[in-house]
Amino acid sequence: MIWKTAWKNIWRNKVRSLVVIISITIGILGGIFAVAVMNGAIEQKVDAALNEEISHIHINDPAFRDNYDIQLTIPNAKQVLSSIENTPGVCAVSARTVITGMANTATKSAGAQIVGIDPEMEKEVLKLHLTTIPGTGDFFETESRYQLAYIGEALAKELNIIRYRIDESVLDSLAAREVPTEVLKKLTPFTGHRFKSEKSFKKEVKGVLSLKEQHEYGAVIKEEAWSFRARSKMTLTFLDKDQMQTGAVFRIAGIYNISNGIFEMSQILVKNEDLMKLTGLAANEYHQMIIRLDNLETTEEISATLKENLNEMEVMNWKEIQPQLAMMTDMITKFYAIFMVIILAALAFGIVNTMLMVVLERTKELGMLTAIGMNKKRVFKMIMLESVFLSLVGGVMGIVISEALISATARKGINFSSYAEGFEAMGYPAHIYPVISTSFFITVTVLIIITGILSSIYPALKALKLDPAEALRTE
Amino acid sequence: MNNLKLAWRNLWRNRRRTLITSASIFFAVFFALVMRSIQLGSYDHMYKNAIESYTGYIQVQHKDFWDEKIVDNTFAYDQQLEKQLLADENVEATIPRFESFALASNGPQTKGVLVMGVDPAKEVHLSNVTDKLVKYRLTPKVIEKIQQDPNLPEKVKELAVLFENSAYTNSSRLQLDLGIDDKKASELMPAIETHAVYKNGSIHLGEPGVWVGDKLSQYLQLGIGDTIVLISQGYHATTAAGKYEIKGIVKIPLPDIDNKIVYLPLDVCQGLFNAEGKLTSLALAMKENQDKAIAQTVQRISAVVSENQKVMEWQEMNEVMVSQMEADDKGGQIMLGILYLVIAFGVFGTVLMLTAERKREFGVLVAIGMQKKKLASIMTMEMLLISLIGIIAGALVASILILYGVEHPIIFKGETAKIFEDYGMEPKMVFWNIDTYYISQMVIVAFMVLLSIIYPMRKIFGMKVVNALRA
Repeated sequence: MIWKTAWKNIWRNKVRSLVVIISITIGILGGIFAVAVMNGAIEQKVDAALNEEISHIHINDPAFRDNYDIQLTIPNAKQVLSSIENTPGVCAVSARTVITGMANTATKSAGAQIVGIDPEMEKEVLKLHLTTIPGTGDFFETESRYQLAYIGEALAKELNIIRYRIDESVLDSLAAREVPTEVLKKLTPFTGHRFKSEKSFKKEVKGVLSLKEQHEYGAVIKEEAWSFRARSKMTLTFLDKDQMQTGAVFRIAGIYNISNGIFEMSQILVKNEDLMKLTGLAANEYHQMIIRLDNLETTEEISATLKENLNEMEVMNWKEIQPQLAMMTDMITKFYAIFMVIILAALAFGIVNTMLMVVLERTKELGMLTAIGMNKKRVFKMIMLESVFLSLVGGVMGIVISEALISATARKGINFSSYAEGFEAMGYPAHIYPVISTSFFITVTVLIIITGILSSIYPALKALKLDPAEALRTE
Repeated sequence: MNNLKLAWRNLWRNRRRTLITSASIFFAVFFALVMRSIQLGSYDHMYKNAIESYTGYIQVQHKDFWDEKIVDNTFAYDQQLEKQLLADENVEATIPRFESFALASNGPQTKGVLVMGVDPAKEVHLSNVTDKLVKYRLTPKVIEKIQQDPNLPEKVKELAVLFENSAYTNSSRLQLDLGIDDKKASELMPAIETHAVYKNGSIHLGEPGVWVGDKLSQYLQLGIGDTIVLISQGYHATTAAGKYEIKGIVKIPLPDIDNKIVYLPLDVCQGLFNAEGKLTSLALAMKENQDKAIAQTVQRISAVVSENQKVMEWQEMNEVMVSQMEADDKGGQIMLGILYLVIAFGVFGTVLMLTAERKREFGVLVAIGMQKKKLASIMTMEMLLISLIGIIAGALVASILILYGVEHPIIFKGETAKIFEDYGMEPKMVFWNIDTYYISQMVIVAFMVLLSIIYPMRKIFGMKVVNALRA
C-alpha cells in the first residue's frame, strides 16, 4: 500500500520529478560511459599485453631474469617442454632464446632484446604475427636465403628502415584518392625528396599546408608517403656464449605494429636456428618457455602446479611478471567507485531539494494523514520510498541508455588518434572499445538506492516534526 | 538597488532551499578547483622534473641532431657562440653536453644506455647532478643490519624489507618511507643513516670515471669501484669503446632516464666518441622561466645561432610527456563536465520550483502594475545571488586548502609511498597555486545559471495575468 502511494506521489508533479529523473539519468549515463571508456582502454591494454607481449606464464632459470646471462639455459629442455605440454589446461608453449644486443643501420643504432623463436610454436602462444603491417612482409613465412628479423614499427622508424618520401607515384596515388590539385601543387616541390624521419616529414609538410588541409588530407598524405623497402638490412651485434662479440646482417622479415611503443622499440624476433649458429648455443638450449593457457582464470592454479613439477625453474605468471598491470586492474575498480560516488553526491543535492519541496508543499496533507492515524514510521517510510523511486527511475534509465551507448560504440570503437602518441607511450591503445562488466551495473544500482535513502533522511525528519494540529491549519 | 534588495529578501523566504542549491554549487566549485589544482600541479611537477634533470628549458643543437641523434650531427664548442648566448638578458649559464647511445656491459649483462658527457661544474646551474647522488641505499646487507639493531621498532624493520634496494638522495625521504615521524627522527635516524649510508665519489673533467643511474646500476649489478664497458659508434663511423670506473650512483626522478643514464666528464666522453671539441647540445639555464619569457628568449637566440644550429624548446624535447599530460588533462575535464552537468540540472530544478510556487505572486505583482522587465531582473538577480554564494564559498574554502597545499605538498609515507613508487611516480601530491583556472571554472558555473534562467523568463514574459491570478 505504502509502496503504491509513494510511486503515485512521484507523478503528482510530473515536471519537477522529471527534472530530477533526467539529471540522475544524465549523471549516471555520463559516469558509466566515462568508466566504460577507461575500463575499455585498460582491458585492451591487459589483453594486448597477454596476447601480443608476454603471454600467461614464463619459465626460466631462477637467475636468468636478473641479468639475462646467455649461459643460464633451461636444463633438459626437451623433458621440461613435454612436461609442460602434458599439464592439463596448457594450450600451447613456445621455447625461446633471449639475448640483449644492439641493432645498427648505416646511420642509426639502438639497444634491443633479441628473441630467438620457432615461428610455428610462437604463433600458437602469441598473436604478434597478426599485427604485421600490410606490405612490410610477413612473420617468417616466405622462404629466404638471408637471416630474417621481425621488428616493431617504432624501432623501424628509429633505425630509418621506415622512411617518408614524395615522388611522382605518390602524387599520382594521392590524386587518385581525390586530394585536390592545390594541395598536390604545394607538395610538388618535395618530389624526389626522402625525409630523414617521421618528425621532419611532418614538420615540412605542415609548413606548406594550411591547417584545414592538414586536417583533411594529412592522414592520407602520411599513408601514401610512408615508404619501406622490402628486405631492408640491419646489423645485430651481441655477445656469444663465450662472451665474445659477434653479429650478422639480418633482413627485415616484417614489421609489427602494436599499441605499446616501448615493446615495439625493444623486441626483435629472429629464428632460433639463426641465433644458435651465431651464439654457439646447442639445438636444445633455450632460455625461456612461454605458455598460453586455455583459460585465463586458471592462471594461479596452473602456475602452482608447474611450480611443483619444475621446482628447479622459476615459474612466473603474468601477474608476477608485470605486477603494475595486475595492481592497476585492482586499483582501478576502486577509482571507478569513487568517481560514481562523487557524481551521486552531486545528484544528492538535487534530490534533497526536491524532497524538501515535496514535504513542505504537502504539509496539510501529511498533517491529515497523521491526524487520521498513520504512524510516524509509515510517513517516514513513504517519503523515503518516494526518494528511492525517484532515484531508481533515473538510475535505471541512465543504466539502460549507457548500456545501449556502450554496445553501440563497442563495435566500432572511439578514436582518440589525435592523442595517439601520448596514449601509446603509456602503452594504451588510441582506438578504444568501451566495455564494462555487469557487476558494475549492480554496484551502481546499489549506490543509487543508498543515495536515495540518504538524501531522503533530512526531508523525512522534517515531515516527522510536523505537528498535526498545526499542519492541518496551514493553507 | 531596490531590485537587488528585493531579490536578496526573496532568497531568504525559503532559506533551506537557497542554502541547499548554493551548497550544490559550492560542492562543484570546490571539487573542480581542488582537482584542477592537483592536476595542474602534478603536470608542472613532472615537467619540472624532466626539464631540471634532463633537457633544460632551451637547448641549442645541430639542426639535425633531434631527428637523428648520431654523433655526426654535432657542432664545435666555440667561445664566440657561448659569449653571444650569455649576452642574452635571460640566459644565466650555458651548459655544454655531449649525448649519445652506447652498449654498456658488465660481464654477461649488457644494455643500451644513454651516455651523457657533462661538465660537472657547469651542470650545477641546471640539472645539479651532484644533488642526485645516492646518499643512502637499503641493500640486503643494510636491511640485515637494521633487523639486528635492537633499538629499532618492529614497524621500521618491516618497512625496510618492503623498500629493499631503494635508493635515497636525502634522509627525509628515507625517514618517510620507513614511517618514522619527526618526533622520533632525532632518536632513530642517526642509527639508520649509519647503517644505510652510501659513499659516492665525484667525477672531474680530464679524469676517466662515471656516474650511473640507480636503476641501471641495479640492472647491470654494478657498484662503486666496479668497471663499466661502453661500446658504440664514434665520429665518422669510427669504433668507440672504453672502460671506466664507477665513481657514484645517481637517482634521477624520471624512471625512463634512471634506468639508462651514464654520466661522463665532457672531455672524456668526447674522447670516447673521437669527437674532441664537439657538442651535441648546449643547454641554457634561464633566469626567468615563465612560458612568455622562454618564448621571447627562443626568438632572440634563434637570431644568434648559426645556420646549421637550431633552438629547441622543452615542449618539443619532451613531446611524448606533453602529449601524455594533454590526454590526462582532457580526461579530467570530461569528468568535471559530467559533474557540472549534474549540478546544472540541480540548479534548474530549483528554478523550476521557484517559478511554479510563485506563479500567483507574479500574477498579482503584474496586475498591480509591476513591469514584467523588472520582475524578470529580480528573478535573475536571485539566481545569480544563489550561485554567487556557492561560488564564493567554494572558491574560498578551496583557496584555503590550495594555499595550504602549495606550501605543504601532500607527501605519502610507508606502504602508500611504495604503491606510488611502483608506478614510477613520486609519492607526492603537489598543488598548483591560484591562477587563471579559477576564472574558467567560475565562468562555467555562471553560464550554467544563466542557461537555467531562460525558463522563468519565458514564463514571466508569456504570462497571462488572469490565469496566473487563478493559480
